[in-house]
Amino acid sequence: MNTTENIYSLYKCRVLRVYDLIEDVKLLLFRFENPDIAESWTCKPGQFVQLSMPALGEVPISICSSPMRRGFFELCIKKTGRVTDKIHELKPGDFVGVRGPYGNGFPVDEFEGSDLLLIAAGIGMAPLRSVFMYAVDNRWKFGNITVINSAKFGNTLLFRKELEAMRDVAEAENIRIIQTVTRDPDWPGRVGRAQEHIKHANTDPEKTYVCVCGPPQVYEDVFNTLIKNNYDPRKIYVTLERRMKCGVGKCGHCIAGTSTFLKYICIDGPVFGYYDIISTPGLI
Amino acid sequence: MQKLIYIFWYIRKMRYVKIANEQIHDFLNQLKQYGKLYAPVKVSDKFYDRKEIDDVCDIAFDYVRTLLPAKKYFIHPKEKMFDIDIENGTYDEPEEKIEPFVLFGVHACEIVGLRILDGVYLRDYVDTYYKRRREAGIIIGLSCLPDDHCFCNLRRSDFVDIGFDLFLHELPDGYLVRVGSPTGHKIVDECAELFSNVTQEDIAAFREFEEKRQQMFSHHGSFDNMRYLLELTARDELWDEESEKCLGCGNCTNTCPTCRCYDVQDIPDIDGKTAERIRFWDSCQFRSHGLVAGGHNFRETKKDRFFNRYVCKNSYFYGLGTSYCVGCGNCTYFCPAGIDYLGNLLRVRSASEPEEVVHEHN
Ligand SMILES: Cc1cc2nc3c(=O)[nH]c(=O)nc-3n(C[C@H](O)[C@H](O)[C@H](O)COP(=O)(O)OP(=O)(O)OC[C@H]3O[C@@H](n4cnc5c(N)ncnc54)[C@H](O)[C@@H]3O)c2cc1C
Ligand code: SF4
Ligand code: SF4
Ligand code: FES
Repeated sequence: MNTTENIYSLYKCRVLRVYDLIEDVKLLLFRFENPDIAESWTCKPGQFVQLSMPALGEVPISICSSPMRRGFFELCIKKTGRVTDKIHELKPGDFVGVRGPYGNGFPVDEFEGSDLLLIAAGIGMAPLRSVFMYAVDNRWKFGNITVINSAKFGNTLLFRKELEAMRDVAEAENIRIIQTVTRDPDWPGRVGRAQEHIKHANTDPEKTYVCVCGPPQVYEDVFNTLIKNNYDPRKIYVTLERRMKCGVGKCGHCIAGTSTFLKYICIDGPVFGYYDIISTPGLI
Repeated sequence: MQKLIYIFWYIRKMRYVKIANEQIHDFLNQLKQYGKLYAPVKVSDKFYDRKEIDDVCDIAFDYVRTLLPAKKYFIHPKEKMFDIDIENGTYDEPEEKIEPFVLFGVHACEIVGLRILDGVYLRDYVDTYYKRRREAGIIIGLSCLPDDHCFCNLRRSDFVDIGFDLFLHELPDGYLVRVGSPTGHKIVDECAELFSNVTQEDIAAFREFEEKRQQMFSHHGSFDNMRYLLELTARDELWDEESEKCLGCGNCTNTCPTCRCYDVQDIPDIDGKTAERIRFWDSCQFRSHGLVAGGHNFRETKKDRFFNRYVCKNSYFYGLGTSYCVGCGNCTYFCPAGIDYLGNLLRVRSASEPEEVVHEHN
């Protein structure tokens, strides 16, 4: 492994912990076996890796941990098919092959000095968690922060417990965490869709960067609400999904857009700005 | 921004020599010393294909298009990426010794096509498999005359100044040869006895050929504004009508010199201990191309997939300032449904019915 310059070669990674988050979704902690790679590997929030299960194939998965923790990374993986089923069988001590990180990631340097509003629906918290963790690890670089995490039911809220456990830190650090569900009558907390809680955010619309991730159908309403509440459309970012085979701009599967704006989601994205999205049919 | 010129080619002062018809077979035989020789041969009434050449008399000089484009030598239709040891979870690159080879008779549009593939496969992340073959391949270009489906002139890919080692331009009694790389110089030097100087008559004949060729193209002007017109006409009925005819077979993408989508699969061995990771040509015309887990498809309808090819091919390739489509006409020629790609683009350009073109192969 990694004896040549082959861009498709894999780094061997050891599974350290497997944690059930919600039904069908697990959080896995990995460490690079090769000390040189562990030392040198870095990533940006919003980037992804290609994870290989031998004889089954590769899947793109967002890095969901803070890039600040050297040598380790976490992936939050939903069981949906051949490869991800097998990933769910992994135990601590098992090995997987990983390559990356790929993609542009969120422009976190540009975010510095501004407020941050993170809006997640469904499994959308997975990529946004890396932005959130990064912001917490670099708290002094950002203004107020709000996280809106939404799901249908209380027991399908991704990272619910983790976010609840952060309550004290959040209070001390001017971070507002809003967890909301849409279809759970037994849920004691907030209800309604993510966009209905934008008005409860502690962020100043004039100087806020917004990151949104969720299923394609949520974007329009979220965008409309943000703009109605005076958030700057130039500061709204989303992270997109596509079928991906290579992750490095070769296989063509993730190509999207039109003849004047043809993009590879894997290298030009997966993070795109609001204006890219609304002016490009088929991007979301 | 991408680098303008990829690693293999940079513009240098062109050198011109001539080879007479009597010497051409000698020359082709000598080319074999530089590697396996591949060239177009006639394989049936209507079709030509590139094959390894044993007898140089088999080579077809007057072919217009081959069954598969030259890309097949650089991105194999199917190739092994890794040998996988399942138990140990290791992925080893197969030991493949890449022998040098010579592609004789590559037309200008295909040379531009290869440079577009360079832009994709060698940019940012360098694809090792492609690069090694590209370095091993010697490209000998050959001038051509267009058929009804050719429109490289509208694509600015009818004449190339880099991307070849030698380029042969037809003359009445031989070929005017442009030398385009150090390897090209070396070949000319090593076969010096076969070449002579270019004369005033040769230059006149070269001019005449170029003029005749320009006049033979069925359409003139430029397609530079095509990418805007396509977006502006995206809702036209044209796309409903045309996509309705499409069989979704993927011939158009397979035969396209610049279509490059591939899929990857792990194939386990029967012993369950090892597997191979292979990649193979894929097509955006297949339903599976945009399908993701959970059943969502980013190109759900046949029309989505059909129109996708038009926008993808007509989008801007920054590296060369051209579109991804080089105007070779293969996708029309090989379409079993008789869909006229050029005709459709002309309709987009002029909003009128396409001129009748004779599909002599149908
Ligand atoms: C940039 C990016 C980030 C992602 N991040 C996460 C994440 O953090 N957590 C998570 O659970 N999922 C994530 N996904 C989705 C995940 O990649 C798919 O769920 C996964 O590929 C399904 O593979 P499978 O073999 O289990 O499913 P199958 O349906 O059996 O798919 C077969 C093959 O098709 C391809 N494929 C299918 N669906 C997708 C898809 N949605 N995206 C890309 N390729 C696909 C893969 O090569 C896959 O192996 C992400 C996708 C992208 C593009
Ligand atoms: S070759 Fe013709 S029928 Fe086949 S997918 Fe292409 S356009 Fe459709
Ligand atoms: S789209 Fe058609 S005409 Fe254009 S390069 Fe490809 S095969 Fe040739
Ligand atoms: S995933 Fe292969 S080109 Fe983007």
